[in-house]
Amino acid sequence: MRRRRSLLTAVGIALAAAMLAAAIVVADGLGRGFDRAARAADLADVIVRFDPQRAATVARRIEALPDIAAFSLRQEYTGVAIGANGHNSQSASAEVVGDGRRGYAIVGGRDVSGRPGEVVVERGLASAWRIKLGGTLFIDGLGPMRVVGFAESPDNVSYPLAAARIYLSRAGLARIPGAGLDPRVNFAQIWLRDPRNVNEVLVQARATSYGLDGVRFVTRSGLRVLLDQAAGIVIDLLVALSVIALATAAVMLGSSARAEVQRRLRSIGVRRAVGASRAHLAATQGFEALFVAAPAATIGAVAGTIATYHPTTNLLTLLNEPAPGTALLAPLLGGWLASIAIPVLAAAWPAWRAAGRDPVALLQGAELRRGSAAGGGSFRFGLNRAGLTVLGARLVGARRARLVAAAITLGASTAFILLMLALASALASLETDPGALGKRYQLTANLPATDTARVRAIPGVQAAAPRYELDGVDSFSLDEPIDVIAYPGDHTVFEAPPLTSGARMRGAHEAEVGAGLAGALGLSPGSTLAVQLPTGNELRLRVAGVVSSLDHDGRVAYVPAKALLALDPAASEQLAVRVRPGASVSRISALLGNTAAPATGATARGVPLVDTLRTILRAIAVVDGLVCLYALVQASALIVSERRRTVSVLRALGAGGDAIRRLLAGAVAALVLPAAVIGIVIERLVLGPALSSLAASYATLPLQPTWLEIAAVLAGLAVCSAVAVLWVARRATRETVVSGLGAG
Amino acid sequence: MINTNLGTVTPVPVLQARGITKTVGAGRAARRVLNGVDLDVEAGEVVAVLGRSGSGKSTLLHLLGGLDRPDAGEIVLAGRELTGQSSRALARARLRHVGFVFQSFQLIEELSGEENVALPARLPGARRGGEERARRLIAELGLSQLAHRRPHELSGGEQQRLAIARALVNDPELVLADEPTGNLDQDNGAAVLSLLRSLDGRAVVIVTHEPEAAAIADRVLHLRDGRLEADAGPARAAAALRESA
Repeated sequence: MRRRRSLLTAVGIALAAAMLAAAIVVADGLGRGFDRAARAADLADVIVRFDPQRAATVARRIEALPDIAAFSLRQEYTGVAIGANGHNSQSASAEVVGDGRRGYAIVGGRDVSGRPGEVVVERGLASAWRIKLGGTLFIDGLGPMRVVGFAESPDNVSYPLAAARIYLSRAGLARIPGAGLDPRVNFAQIWLRDPRNVNEVLVQARATSYGLDGVRFVTRSGLRVLLDQAAGIVIDLLVALSVIALATAAVMLGSSARAEVQRRLRSIGVRRAVGASRAHLAATQGFEALFVAAPAATIGAVAGTIATYHPTTNLLTLLNEPAPGTALLAPLLGGWLASIAIPVLAAAWPAWRAAGRDPVALLQGAELRRGSAAGGGSFRFGLNRAGLTVLGARLVGARRARLVAAAITLGASTAFILLMLALASALASLETDPGALGKRYQLTANLPATDTARVRAIPGVQAAAPRYELDGVDSFSLDEPIDVIAYPGDHTVFEAPPLTSGARMRGAHEAEVGAGLAGALGLSPGSTLAVQLPTGNELRLRVAGVVSSLDHDGRVAYVPAKALLALDPAASEQLAVRVRPGASVSRISALLGNTAAPATGATARGVPLVDTLRTILRAIAVVDGLVCLYALVQASALIVSERRRTVSVLRALGAGGDAIRRLLAGAVAALVLPAAVIGIVIERLVLGPALSSLAASYATLPLQPTWLEIAAVLAGLAVCSAVAVLWVARRATRETVVSGLGAG
Repeated sequence: MINTNLGTVTPVPVLQARGITKTVGAGRAARRVLNGVDLDVEAGEVVAVLGRSGSGKSTLLHLLGGLDRPDAGEIVLAGRELTGQSSRALARARLRHVGFVFQSFQLIEELSGEENVALPARLPGARRGGEERARRLIAELGLSQLAHRRPHELSGGEQQRLAIARALVNDPELVLADEPTGNLDQDNGAAVLSLLRSLDGRAVVIVTHEPEAAAIADRVLHLRDGRLEADAGPARAAAALRESA
């Protein structure tokens, strides 16, 4: 019996330690990943892209900027066709690097030298295509190149989330006949002496960029903000769940330890009577807990680390960030010690309290708890058919503080499971349903605006209009990218993200901005949006309203097409096509030919990232379910342990297994029913809104579970309860009645 | 006298035990406390088993009531063999045929006196009419005014009387009392013994080390060295007690 109790305690400790280790691995890996990657890669403070220019011209302008520590120039080719190991891509990015600091880390092999035929590939690409060092990469126009190294740079996410990236040496390319190397550059990296001066440098850079076309700035701090938003969701989820798991384990272990001390009160009384000190008795109890906690915490910590290290490393690879490696040892050690210290203290504290009682009272079988011996609430047992079930509930209700603590921790776990389901639904919806983003068109067609009337005439097409989209930056804060979208008429026919404040735009001088952009730039209805367009022209509009949009992290602006085209007549255009309800999208797509493409969800290009997130969420939900099950089993076992004599009396009176199961069912129901209510309330009123705001402060992410999801979680709780009741009842009825009758 | 409506008392033994052997403890601490015990108890008979502390009296009672299993021997209760039965069958036998009275009462603290008495009647498989019997027993034992109270609000004697009512609620053929007066003062102890004596028509086995308890018995047995030995003296005293009643 005691061995089984120890085993149950060990399982709880192992589970909590596993959760803590998993949280540490993911939180440390993702939370500090960017800084680690930036440090390893020697990431530049400012990255500038522009239309190709002579290197000397660009260098002169950069040298004129204040506080420059160093800079390097590159030619970045996009749309390069590459292939290896049966894989190929037509949209790779080839970075032709020259002298100076690189801005990327070599994580395998070596960097490109001046020799021809060498290439360094991004680690994410190497991983996805299984490219090995010394292997061959085919590059269109250059032929087979030998892969000499793997690189990593956090200035962008990795393949397949972004275009594949490779690095070539300018000197090496110059030695390849017919390589067609452009002597100009279009990419500059700038390192500052004091990165805090980045805004002053950007203002100056904007002034000196006169004559350069297509200038776009990205800063190290801007990159960090973007990446942290994605990682932050996962980190916060895991940290919160770990806290819940630890709290659950602590409450259950504390209760278990208290029950154990209650069982040993006479023994403690004897030892006090023969002169043992309180500290000695508490230490003895603590040491006993240590023998259980140390191996359990070790197993849990190792299991949690192993379970999450690989998925986290994969996620970090996608984000172009290095694995944490030995940096994890210190926080993991701290987590391991906490996993041991909590149960040891939970065991020592009730022993310390008990040892403080009068030894005579202990020898006479005093209760650890002072006060009324009855408890049990005010409701009557009654002579009705539900008698044993109600008795079970009353046995649990007799320990009110315990019941409240257990119901709250179980409720928190339930709330988390609901949250996971709601989040998974939201992710699935964002991935597959453009409508979830407020998009009302189903197709786009790469056709000029002049074809609008022809497309509208296609049967089944409800509406069609030109859609213009380009990348701009904020005129005042140049490192803030803005996705500018324009329609000639009412954009809500095609895209209607929910309005969170203000009004829809009217006329040619108003715009709607995403909440993410509004938050980043401090915009609100009535303020002025100033967008620097790729042409160098500035578009100034009054903000009419703020909309909730997940596209581009909410850094989006809907502007009138007339105002946009006046400043940038060459803005990228396509036709947005809205299909009548019931009409065949695929038929219309076929009629439009290869110019048509389905409208995409926010994450359609980031499917691997979403998949990884969903995998982590699923793992969290499974672990959370196990935490629930553990809490229920532990709570049931505690009831039996504390009420061992009551159970034995019932059995002596003729109660069989069925009656004990009814008793336990009532006890577990008294715990689970309030926990379920607490869980639903916590999710709907606290966790859902909090995470919705945390996950996307730039948009309203609905994280309310559906009634079906709630029903599923309640069914899961019922199953867990049934498992707990059956298991514990089986254990209880295996003990001899006589031994239980003598229990204190 | 409590009216238990058992009908005609027959001389057929309610309880028959043959060659009961039981060893407790393990290894070097193992000790054979019962070594071939034979015992027959008829309906309407009160049997007192006396013995020193640790002689195995309680162990014998637990075996007779199906709370524990003997190492060897056989026990027949109400015409059914107990040894070798499953836990489920033993529980059913206890529910229908046995009423236990414990030294420390073993009332459930969360329940009132009335609820404690009615508890066995609410267990799955209990005979019908238990609730009515519970009310009647409480009334007959003069506990109606106390029945709504929790055990800790009652005296030891009151608690033990409730425990006896609980033992009777399913109308068992056999009542087993383990040191029923061990936690009571002299007056309360006498009242409880008188109550046990009054259970007309049932087989009653009382294990005790108190001679007062033996005085009410039809038959007194001593448990010595793992065996039961008859003692005629207290039986005569019991007969005299009944005659004077």
